[in-house]
Amino acid sequence: MRRLVLLLFLLPCAALASPAQVVDQALETHILPGFADLESKTKILAELAANSCDPDDAALRDAYHTAFDAWVTVSHLRFGPSEADSRGFALAFWPDPRGTTAKTLGRLIRSADPAINDPDTFRTVSVAARGFYAMERLLYDPAVSAADPEYACRLLRALTVDMAETATLIRQDWIMQHADLMRTPGTADNPYANELEALKALYSALGTGLEFAVDIRMGRPLGTFDRPRPRRAEAWRSGRSLRQISMALDGMEPLAAVLATDHAAIAGALKEAFGSARDAVADVGDPVFATVSDPVGRLKVEILQQRIDYIREIVLGDLGPALGVGQGFNALDGD
Amino acid sequence: MRWMAIDMATARPSRRRFLAGAAAAGLAPNLTWADAGNPTYLAAARLPDEIYLLFGLDAEGQVAFEIPLPARGHAAAGHPERPEAVAFARRPGTFAIVLDCTTGAEIARLTAPQDRHFYGHGAFSRDGSRLYTTENDSELGDGRVGIWAADDGYRRVGEVASGGIGPHDILRLPGSDTLVIANGGIDTHPDTGREKLNLPTMQSNLTYLDPSGEVIEQVSLPTEMRLNSIRHLAVHADGTVAFGCQWQGDLAAAPPLVGLHRQGQHPRLLAPPDNAAMNGYVGSVSFSGDHETVAVTAPRGNRAVLFNVNTGDTRKVITSSDICGVAQTNDGLLLTTGTGAIKAAKSDRITEVGHLAGAWDNHLTRIANG
Repeated sequence: MRRLVLLLFLLPCAALASPAQVVDQALETHILPGFADLESKTKILAELAANSCDPDDAALRDAYHTAFDAWVTVSHLRFGPSEADSRGFALAFWPDPRGTTAKTLGRLIRSADPAINDPDTFRTVSVAARGFYAMERLLYDPAVSAADPEYACRLLRALTVDMAETATLIRQDWIMQHADLMRTPGTADNPYANELEALKALYSALGTGLEFAVDIRMGRPLGTFDRPRPRRAEAWRSGRSLRQISMALDGMEPLAAVLATDHAAIAGALKEAFGSARDAVADVGDPVFATVSDPVGRLKVEILQQRIDYIREIVLGDLGPALGVGQGFNALDGD
Repeated sequence: MRWMAIDMATARPSRRRFLAGAAAAGLAPNLTWADAGNPTYLAAARLPDEIYLLFGLDAEGQVAFEIPLPARGHAAAGHPERPEAVAFARRPGTFAIVLDCTTGAEIARLTAPQDRHFYGHGAFSRDGSRLYTTENDSELGDGRVGIWAADDGYRRVGEVASGGIGPHDILRLPGSDTLVIANGGIDTHPDTGREKLNLPTMQSNLTYLDPSGEVIEQVSLPTEMRLNSIRHLAVHADGTVAFGCQWQGDLAAAPPLVGLHRQGQHPRLLAPPDNAAMNGYVGSVSFSGDHETVAVTAPRGNRAVLFNVNTGDTRKVITSSDICGVAQTNDGLLLTTGTGAIKAAKSDRITEVGHLAGAWDNHLTRIANG
């Protein structure tokens, strides 16, 4: 177990931030700007799609990538506003081991489902056929739209409008309600009974985000040594698999830094661990993890996975206990 | 020696060694649970250095035996007569081990068929000839109950639909062969570990099943509680089923997480005054020995809540770090925690009766007629 050896004394005159101050800082510097960015980038995407729905349109593809980046950098904040009404799923339905996205899109296109004509009706369409992963199919998988390109064009527009609307709902929920709930814990009907619980929600989001990166974003394509599964890499059709990791790290590092504000040794270790994970990203040099089938390439991808796992170890083993929000053996089990 | 890790160990290694020798000499008698030190409970635990064990505990919560497991366990099921325990791997494991609790030897290993994995719980038929296991058909995402011949080397002899998605706990109603299954409603796939794949459409249910596969009765919670995953069960001598849920929605909106159900009636939902403090998560459920109390543990809220079965009122809240396992004693309840404690609750008194230098895993299982 690589575990930090922490100094067992506190500097007597250090002014420590209260949990409330840490939460406030995370909201101001990370969460609210992150969701504002997602809203603006998805709006731009919808505007571009209104002009052109040509899957080969470079500007449209650029806007798609920019908006997807904005989502991935806040994708670990999967609680409260992102969780309500399955909004997170409506933007990002993945992993999808049963191929539900392709099946549902196929069904919409083959039946020329009129749900796409009205945003309110479209919001009732299965989350599997909405959001970034559905749009990836329309932009990068010619087989999906081939059956009816004209319908696929209108579907793509409906998707972008829906994504922008979902992003707006998430941001509004944060601004109008959830940020205040986190800032004023203990009030009636507040899910956060005290400052520490609000802090714990952020800590859990960070831990879950790291776990998702290690186990799902990287674990799926890695498979086993005998049976690597490169086609299970996230968003490989749009060449984004490695970029997803990079963006996820970009999103989680600021949150980790804010949470570790008062714990200099941990903050330093986290900074170093994120830095070394980024070095490993650069070393992989394969945007879609296709090299997991090749021993040398696989090693590089495994190293990246281990470096992210090491960040998780610091978060679970050191940061959690330091913040007083660690969870027990059974509490973490989830069964 | 593992015994060193336990300050309350009162095991009988000499007896076990004798039996092992007798078995090796071809003198194996028809063993009973008495030969395994008369354990009343089974519980898995993790010891330092990632060592996983299955423990048998006697009626007082003292260790009767301990057997190493290859990986983290979840729940265990004890054969109604023979000293055999089935230890299930943690979800989504594909194996379960049948252990001879007198020698610690592995008698059989259950391997989930292609495209199936275990959910961590199982139950024996009334006569002990069959073992039923909750499983996932990972291609279809449908729940299954696997059937294994406990009287014939634990061969797989069939399967039936569980009546829902994501079956977790399974119990047999007392004095009958009817199975009751908590179909948690959550679809997972081995490729994606514990990732929840269908939250937008999930719907949990409680299914009463004839072992032939016929659904006798099925109960769902109201639509607004769609995200309440019925996960763990307990049965009362009179056939009442208690269930504990895990809420998958906004914790602020968590509804009651505990219910009582009798066949042919609507479920009764129970919540303590401070329902939110359970953090939307019930770990285990048990009736008390006097049948008047139903207890649930909420490890994420570091508490156990005891309800009056008749009135549904909250009788007591026990706060204890990472408390999760709970089972009935003759006159109350026994509880275990992830910090190693074993606690007895009798009337309103809670006493720590033992301590393990490790972590007790989720469940404390009472051996059916132990």
